[in-house]
Amino acid sequence: MKNIFPLIFTVVNLLIIPLLLTGVIRKVKALMQNRIGAPVLQPFYDVAKFLSKSETISKNTSWVFTAAPIIGLSVAFLAGALFPWSGSFLPGKFAAASNIFLLIYLLALGKFFSMLAAMDTGSAFGGLGASREATISMMVEPIVITGLGALCLNAGTPNLQSAFAGNINPIIAGLTGTALIIASLAELSRIPVDDPTTHLELTMVHEAMILENSGRNLALIEYTTAIRSCIFYGLTTQVFFHMLPFTHSMNPILQYAAGIAGVLLFGCAVAFAEGILVKLKWRNVPNFLTFGTVLSLLAALIAVTQR
Amino acid sequence: MNLSQIDFLAAAAAATAVMMCGITGIQTQFRFLALQTALFSGICLLEGFSSHGQHMAQFIILAAVVLIVKAAGIPLFLMWAANKMSIIRDKGNTASPPVTLIMAFGAIAAGYFLIPQFAVYSAGNPVSAGMAVALLFIGMIFMVTRRLAISQVTGFLIIENGIFLYGLTQAKGMPHLVEMAVVFEALIAVLIAGLVILRINRNFEHIDVTQMRGLRH
Repeated sequence: MKNIFPLIFTVVNLLIIPLLLTGVIRKVKALMQNRIGAPVLQPFYDVAKFLSKSETISKNTSWVFTAAPIIGLSVAFLAGALFPWSGSFLPGKFAAASNIFLLIYLLALGKFFSMLAAMDTGSAFGGLGASREATISMMVEPIVITGLGALCLNAGTPNLQSAFAGNINPIIAGLTGTALIIASLAELSRIPVDDPTTHLELTMVHEAMILENSGRNLALIEYTTAIRSCIFYGLTTQVFFHMLPFTHSMNPILQYAAGIAGVLLFGCAVAFAEGILVKLKWRNVPNFLTFGTVLSLLAALIAVTQR
Repeated sequence: MNLSQIDFLAAAAAATAVMMCGITGIQTQFRFLALQTALFSGICLLEGFSSHGQHMAQFIILAAVVLIVKAAGIPLFLMWAANKMSIIRDKGNTASPPVTLIMAFGAIAAGYFLIPQFAVYSAGNPVSAGMAVALLFIGMIFMVTRRLAISQVTGFLIIENGIFLYGLTQAKGMPHLVEMAVVFEALIAVLIAGLVILRINRNFEHIDVTQMRGLRH
């Protein structure tokens, strides 16, 4: 009976929460702009609609273009199932699978294939978007690796699951959490770095890459993006929870509920920020991301000196 | 190693100095400067508590003076001056803000690892000594890499904060009258520098230090 909960939580995490998060973000964003907005469940209908539509594929593409969304989604599923982003923990024998380097490489693998697919179409915008996405992820990865590495060094284990189950220095948690907010805004193409709803191809980053996708492909890509958002927001929320002393001694169900509430609230905060902030100039993005790098480095410095 | 509360506040102040190196908005820089200095008045109070009430009144007066003069007065004056000259951003001169950020982080790491080697151990708080020296380095980096003359004043104030921190945490038994005099000295220095920069701005219509070399001719 005790082992059934993590299973149920994982299924809910992968099937319901990601698209719900997308819906909540869009709803809050609409409310910020004085619109009523689409219903919260609209992303589910969208994915269902895209899945039933036929797709248009350019004659110039190779197998990479059709395979990339499938690879991306399977990798995202794997990462979403293995990593404790929702506050629910898998049984102990899976703990070793939540290694931080596995997380980094899984996310990078999915991203690599989406960039390949963008370049495979041979369209100018695809190449432009892929090049920008590669530049951003080059600057985001040090933030994530250093920040989560500092966390794991402090907890004395490379597994996120064991690290989150134990005690973490609140200062390190605060610094890493703030760095992860900056990293997630850039990695998930949210507003200070990229505008996810823009219609101008020249300013797009992520949207330019998926311009050529339609039908089933597009549905898979939307779903992948939703799961990736959940992983990033969830990990950030869990890191911030370690600043509060009482949260990791709670009942597992309560802990899971708190984790999911945290993810959804994080989404609301992101949507709120999108309502009041403007997009950075492309040249200023490295400047913004360096703050994240330095916060991670400070966390790492504290982690190294406290050993 | 366990950080005492004083060390923690000193490290937080050094971290605000690092963040200042990456910020280009002049007004935001002054807000961070105010925050950094307010942390020092917190350190004053903690020092007072750790002296077991011996000189509590002196420490409270020093903390109040630091809070009013250095954390509120000086940043407000600089904000007024920046407004009057209608300058908004300082994008850096020799090194761009991201590079400066990384350099400032290097200064903190150097301060942390090197300074306890030759700090006065008997005084305690070796981390604070390291952070004080890191603040000196960061202030110098800030002065060298910024373009506007008003940023030189900000850099000077960071250096001043470092010296103040060292005096406060390492030199036990130093008369607080001296510390207080230093605070007012900094106020006068900033007032004079600010007014001179205002005059320069009025006469030459810019305060760009890279072009000031040409002013001799």
